[in-house]
Amino acid sequence: MFLAIRELTHAKFRYVLIGLIMVLIASLIFIISGLTKGLSADNASAIQNLQADYVLMEPDAELEITKSFIPHKKLDDIAKIDGVEEANPLSIRMMNASVNGTQQNEDVALFVTEADGVLLPSVSEGKTIANENEVIADSSLKREGIEIGDTLQFGEESEFTIVGFTDNQRYSHTSVLFMDNGQRDNINAITIQAEEGKIDAIKSTIGDSLDIVTTEEALQGIPSYSQEQASLNMMIIFLFVIAAFVLAAFFYVITLQKRDQFGVLKALGAKTIYLVKNLIGQVVLLSVICIAVGVGLTLGIKALLPEDMPFLLETSGMIQTSLLILAVSVVGALVSLVQVVKIDPIEAIEGAGK
Amino acid sequence: MTLVLENVSKVYKDGPKEFKALDNVSLEVKPGEFIAIIGPSGSGKSTMLSIAGALLSPTSGRILLDGENTANLSANKITQRRLEKIGFVFQAANLIPYLKVKDQLSVINVIAKNKNKTRGNELLGHFGLAHRVNNYPNELSGGERQRVAIARALINDPKIILADEPTASLDSKRGREVVEMLADEIKTRGKSGIMVTHDERVLDLCDRVVTIRDGRLEE
Repeated sequence: MFLAIRELTHAKFRYVLIGLIMVLIASLIFIISGLTKGLSADNASAIQNLQADYVLMEPDAELEITKSFIPHKKLDDIAKIDGVEEANPLSIRMMNASVNGTQQNEDVALFVTEADGVLLPSVSEGKTIANENEVIADSSLKREGIEIGDTLQFGEESEFTIVGFTDNQRYSHTSVLFMDNGQRDNINAITIQAEEGKIDAIKSTIGDSLDIVTTEEALQGIPSYSQEQASLNMMIIFLFVIAAFVLAAFFYVITLQKRDQFGVLKALGAKTIYLVKNLIGQVVLLSVICIAVGVGLTLGIKALLPEDMPFLLETSGMIQTSLLILAVSVVGALVSLVQVVKIDPIEAIEGAGK
Repeated sequence: MTLVLENVSKVYKDGPKEFKALDNVSLEVKPGEFIAIIGPSGSGKSTMLSIAGALLSPTSGRILLDGENTANLSANKITQRRLEKIGFVFQAANLIPYLKVKDQLSVINVIAKNKNKTRGNELLGHFGLAHRVNNYPNELSGGERQRVAIARALINDPKIILADEPTASLDSKRGREVVEMLADEIKTRGKSGIMVTHDERVLDLCDRVVTIRDGRLEE
């Protein structure tokens, strides 16, 4: 690292320039990752946080829960199958609710299940539902000024009172309301908890009448979920590739400029591995600094974003992304390593070896 | 004998033609001896210096560095021998542009994992560069740069000093000063020195002058 650090501090300007590009690319990767995670949660956190391992749907629904219809009596049959630990009904309806009988309207996703089932999330504020006219709402509704005790009315149907708030329950970019309206006819889906080892036996018992998918797979049925995630993930992949190429090109040109010096150092007795270590050291040092600044910049930008913006940064995800950027940078520098290895120390003596 | 070249030939193949850069050259350099190699360009001077410095392997013949035949050594061992036994002074100094004068010498200590760090300062003081230790090469004059290069060649206390036209970028006064320093080091410290040069005005500082013509040595 003797040479690496001295060169970085001496040729500040060029390394600051490339560093700036790296910081911007790293920040962009973090921001788009945050947006991807945020939109994913905004679109599907109610399904991701569902207390269930598998979702059973009508095969014709093609994973779209709202298009699936199952007779309620099926639920008892499913619950009796060996290996099924929990079976709960789930119906989802996208609704528009008027608040307290006023002009204020809010789009909500109604998650109808059984009041004594496991699908009902725990409340972070207020209490859980006690009768058919009470609902638990996602805390994102609080941003619209809605409080405990407010009533919601769907069309001509009866009024529902919000008795509690829960966290991180969003579906299709709208707030979720959990309720048990007591209706026991058709349901959209059945969720079950079952051990992974027994799922094949359960599948064969149920046969072709119902599709069994994991909750993860069920996400694909949420309108626009996979398209949204795929386009953002493609952007992230492109940014990684761009980062690799920008660094590869930069270090390639710099290494070409330094051919003479590498020749001299090799002639003076520096082993190739020593020079390689210095180059890798430079790339790692530069990347680590740039990633750190990028993380800082991203956190700063996050603080400036409006609260209802779907943006989610997780420490584990950030660390993973950071390590990936670092790895990509080192891969980008490999092209230059070939140069360093190939340089012949005889180049230090002019006129020789021709 | 610290450096012996025995019947060394170097043949380059250029398609069907063969070109003999060195033709059966033998040379012995004693400790404390300073030899100048002169000759027209293309005569094989640089090739000979490269072979003597273990930068290039001969087509035939033996090179003994301090009694050891370099032909049998692996590439890594040869690099190690260069580091320990040979000090190079290149044309136009060839200093590393982003290192301060003191670090030009330290880098060799780092590569060689030397513990003795004070020798660099002694050498720089000896060559009148004590006030320049924190300067970069582009802030030095040509003569100063070449003196740093000599100090760098000596930092590892090598037994052999090889100089490739050390006066090429200097005027005659500075050039002579540099060669005087080189000759003085070689004599007082008992090193073996070879210098390739065009500069006939410094030949009187050398013990022996060898002329190379079409790959053959003439004394």
